[in-house]
Amino acid sequence: MTGRDRTVVMVLATLGVLAAVWLFAVAPKREQAAKLGTEVSTAQAALASAESQLASASAAQAKYQDAYASIVRLGKAVPASQEVPSLIYQLSQATNEKNVEFASITASVPGASGSKAPTASAGAATAGAGATQMPFTFVFNGSFDSLYNLFQQLDAFTTLHTTSGELNVSGRLLTIQSIKLGPVSASGGSAPGSGAPGGSEQLSGTITATAYVLPAGQSLTGGATPAGPSGTATQTASTGAAGSANAPAVVQVNP
Amino acid sequence: MRAVNLMTTDERRGPSIPTGRSGGGAYVVLVLLGGLAVFALLYGLADHAISGRRSEVASLAARAQQAQARAGQLTPYTSFLQMREQRVQTVTQLVDSRFDWAQAFHELGRVLPPGKVSLGSLAGTVGSSSGSSAGASSSSSSSSAGAASGSSVTSATPPGSIPTFALTGCAVSQAEVALMLDRLRLIHGVNEVSLQSATKSGSGGGGGGAGCEGGRVSFSAQVTFDALPSASTAGGSSSTGTASTAAAPASPASASATPVSTSSAGAVR
Repeated sequence: MTGRDRTVVMVLATLGVLAAVWLFAVAPKREQAAKLGTEVSTAQAALASAESQLASASAAQAKYQDAYASIVRLGKAVPASQEVPSLIYQLSQATNEKNVEFASITASVPGASGSKAPTASAGAATAGAGATQMPFTFVFNGSFDSLYNLFQQLDAFTTLHTTSGELNVSGRLLTIQSIKLGPVSASGGSAPGSGAPGGSEQLSGTITATAYVLPAGQSLTGGATPAGPSGTATQTASTGAAGSANAPAVVQVNP
Repeated sequence: MRAVNLMTTDERRGPSIPTGRSGGGAYVVLVLLGGLAVFALLYGLADHAISGRRSEVASLAARAQQAQARAGQLTPYTSFLQMREQRVQTVTQLVDSRFDWAQAFHELGRVLPPGKVSLGSLAGTVGSSSGSSAGASSSSSSSSAGAASGSSVTSATPPGSIPTFALTGCAVSQAEVALMLDRLRLIHGVNEVSLQSATKSGSGGGGGGAGCEGGRVSFSAQVTFDALPSASTAGGSSSTGTASTAAAPASPASASATPVSTSSAGAVR
């Protein structure tokens, strides 16, 4: 073996040793470090997601009082139970303000062609997930002007501001499906001159309208109280009755 | 001439690397040691990064778990907010899907020729989209109401429903009936105005059943409005819904005043 050959062998051996050290020691370590770098990125993303959830939940907690107030206010428009007495009270208030005689209210059975006597559960038809319908037939007597104002008032119980998108709820949400106007004596209403003003100009307005209630099993606030929602530590056990089907006092109608 | 190399024999090989007695083996060992040193440095750096990243991962996981636990405690609040949003959406859709009866009556009072035409009865109905003559009779309103109540939609007046007004009354002449039909088309959102009958009293016709005085024309007409818009377009429509109230051309004061004049003119008895 010449000197040159020895040199070549030594160089090759050195390169082999270095390659072995790289392949079996350094490269795996670097690969492990890179993998952990990916894990760090994943953990950072998970932390960011968790912190985002926390921020969202904290924001929800901060908005709770407003949300509770608004959901109670929405209970005026669509209550958890039928709340027929409050509906009659609202209509009576509105008719008094508009100088209209509130002659009759009849709870209609869904799908029937005529009206039947109201019962505790009659008139409720489940219609989709959002609300249950309660059709009614009302008879109002008054002048054209008064009836027109009354229709405006019925719509104004629940209105939507188109610019801000805000709901303004001051009473029960009613959807009027039909209106029949005619002379008082001819439409089966009360006799002319029975109390409403206007004399010969008195009209009888028969209105078919639908009120809405929350679907069965849904309470107004879902068990929440002003202190906190159901299932939180801030909610005290003594205030649980507020979420029952019996609406809390704040739902009382105040048109 | 032949070239002659004048350099000595030793100088002819050029400058050689001093290899010493090892024949270059020392250089190889130096290179090997240098390479190992570099690799050791890289190994150490990687090991340091590994330990650092492991602790970072553990720390991040702990913080994430803590945040998740805290968020989990506040889940009822987010659920409550979601419930609020759903309720608001439901009520908004119901409000959006209503027909603006007051506006329609207001405009009806404005367009009828005062003193020349009087209404004996008016039946307005928001019927189904398939029925074109809803509201033409007294029984149609209740059947329509029942159909709407039993439907699978949330609103009693679902999008696509067509509001119609059936009018009967008296006019002083056939020309006034024609004028009335023309003017009824001016009501915002009216799609079609159709005359069913116009018969002069005493001429032997059936008439509109309004019991008009002698010489007057009893008529029966139907006003069909545009179909109620879908939820996506309800907010922008001015023909129906509460939105039209804001876009109404008349102020509330004039709106309430106009029906008075109509009433005093005997438009509806």
